[in-house]
Amino acid sequence: MSVQPVTFLSRAERILGTDEAAAVDRGMRLMTAMREAAVDEFPIAKELRDRTRAIRLHALAHLDRLIAKFADQVAEAGGRVHFAGDADEANRIVAEILEDTGSELVVKAKSMVSEEIELNAHLEASGVEVVETDLGEFIIQLAGDTPSHIIAPVLHMTKESIGALFAEKLGVEETADPVRLNQIARDHLREIFLRADAGISGVNLAVAESGSIVVVTNEGNGRLTTTAPRVHIALMGMERIVSRWEDAAVVLEVLARSATGQRLSVYTNVITGPRRPGDPDGPDELHVVILDNGRSDILAGDTAEILACIRCGACLNVCPVFRTVGGHAYGTVYSGPMGSIVTPGLQGMEPWWELPYASTLCGACEEVCPVGIQIPSMLLKLRERAASEGRLPGWLEKGMSRYARTAEDAGRWARAKRWASALSAPLSSRGWIRRAPGPARGWTQHRDLPRPAKESFGDWWRDNREP
Amino acid sequence: MTGGGTIVNRDQFLSRVSSAVMASDAPPPPIVAERLPDLDPVDHLAMFRLRAQTVDAVVHGPVTRHGVPRAIIGIAAGHECETFASWDDLPVSGIPTALTVAGLTRVGHVVPSDGRKAHQMEYAGLDLGVTGSVAGLAESGSVVLTHGPGKARMVSLSPEVHVVLLEVANIDRTLAFWAARHPEMTRQTANLVIVTGPSRTGDIELELNLGVHGPRHVHVILIR
Repeated sequence: MSVQPVTFLSRAERILGTDEAAAVDRGMRLMTAMREAAVDEFPIAKELRDRTRAIRLHALAHLDRLIAKFADQVAEAGGRVHFAGDADEANRIVAEILEDTGSELVVKAKSMVSEEIELNAHLEASGVEVVETDLGEFIIQLAGDTPSHIIAPVLHMTKESIGALFAEKLGVEETADPVRLNQIARDHLREIFLRADAGISGVNLAVAESGSIVVVTNEGNGRLTTTAPRVHIALMGMERIVSRWEDAAVVLEVLARSATGQRLSVYTNVITGPRRPGDPDGPDELHVVILDNGRSDILAGDTAEILACIRCGACLNVCPVFRTVGGHAYGTVYSGPMGSIVTPGLQGMEPWWELPYASTLCGACEEVCPVGIQIPSMLLKLRERAASEGRLPGWLEKGMSRYARTAEDAGRWARAKRWASALSAPLSSRGWIRRAPGPARGWTQHRDLPRPAKESFGDWWRDNREP
Repeated sequence: MTGGGTIVNRDQFLSRVSSAVMASDAPPPPIVAERLPDLDPVDHLAMFRLRAQTVDAVVHGPVTRHGVPRAIIGIAAGHECETFASWDDLPVSGIPTALTVAGLTRVGHVVPSDGRKAHQMEYAGLDLGVTGSVAGLAESGSVVLTHGPGKARMVSLSPEVHVVLLEVANIDRTLAFWAARHPEMTRQTANLVIVTGPSRTGDIELELNLGVHGPRHVHVILIR
């Protein structure tokens, strides 16, 4: 993740009111509806979510032991485990594996970790051709863009813009028909899959007791990437681990329902070591790269629970801020409520201290989280940390000091109330003020302010309740 | 903040994780109960049929073992298949022969260690793949495939049409319940795949599209 000097607010401003914002809003409504239909349908859905929480928190409490066990079991099954402390190291490890195995053409299945460490740029610099194979990621790669949602990476693009992109980059006839677009991508990628030297995948879950990794996809690219090439490299964040296969099965059910409203994803692919003697196909080599990159810092701190996240994306879909501005406004791989905790956790408050403020603290994220992660209270902890390090948004800093000055003097307070009441009528439209002068200007730069009531609470109390 | 020396070996890596676990003041985690909660029983076969159709798979039968080759030939004809690949290890014998007699050409499924790419290119235009399964999952309409000798991964992945044989007695309720009954399963095979309908994507404007990279059609033949 590179440091983006542009702030959240200016990125958001650039997106508001554009086609991108409209596409995100439309998409989020659809995804939320699909999810709602599936999530409580199963008779013991709630019990399985509670069990998932217990499984994930148990894993975090024993993470060192589970990682050690997992690594031993991968080796036992014939795979190789590599430990990467940070992004540079992970990139170097992957580049070395590719060099040692003479791999020039590499196919990739969607992996958030690879985006986190900016693997593609690193590999391309060393002369390796990397092809993204998830349809969404493939489009992103052609466009030279970045994903805007962890589950639906091209949510922000229209079929017309994708059609134009394919026509330009792949030399095909322009079309806005999703069925045709799909076929174009399939034909283009199929031959690349079968020729590729190595496949790089992410890891949705790892099983400590058997050394298995689980790669979930709907398209089948996750299976092709981990089956056709001679070498398979799996990148995993060190927290993606559970103790037993039975535990993984519970989490996988909950993940599918919560992410896309499916009862299971189309392909749940469980890999335990490379191709075995007598196996007709599969990769000859399996390498698992386990990445820390700031995760142990989160684990040691007061937002450790965010590591229990199963990356379903449900909190993004319900977040009123995410729904309004989309994933790109966050300027980082992990966006939305979950990302606003993960990103400052992995990379430090600078330059990400604004992200915990990209929330109304409405609590929809916590309510929808299948693991029951207390997202709003963690956002508050991060705001506290930012404030204690002397970082406050300008409007808040100025606004609060003015508020304090006004509120500590009865005369000033009464005058302010009268002003607010008198001024709000001409400024507001349908109960909302979109641009306010004076002390409220900072607030209305990026949000609307509800019009103050005609009568203040103090006045109402005096007239109605005081004896 | 993103702590870390340049070269982290296993011991260094794990000791950092251990220190973090130790430093954490998180409350002890809830206990994972020994057993999954009880469920009211349902008719597994009826539910499997319904849910498989929901995810755009086509369910045939139940048929007897004798009826399986004819059912597959019918499916192959319906999709105008010319080439096929098949597991050697199927619950019904004689299927590859029957398909060959019906005029289809078999593509081998054993990938040699040298010449891997040349062999795989044969898969590019593959029409039909025939596999078995170790279990069906009623709630999600899924089939569970384990791979190994005589059971290639690409057979269920590369063709346009995937035909999978499933014994009715092997249908369980959900993945979690099946896994709890078979905790050893992941160790026994290098690759286990749970297939829930044909390959699909919703990436372009969240519009559903079948057959992105995997098969466009999945047919499940139930065996009595």
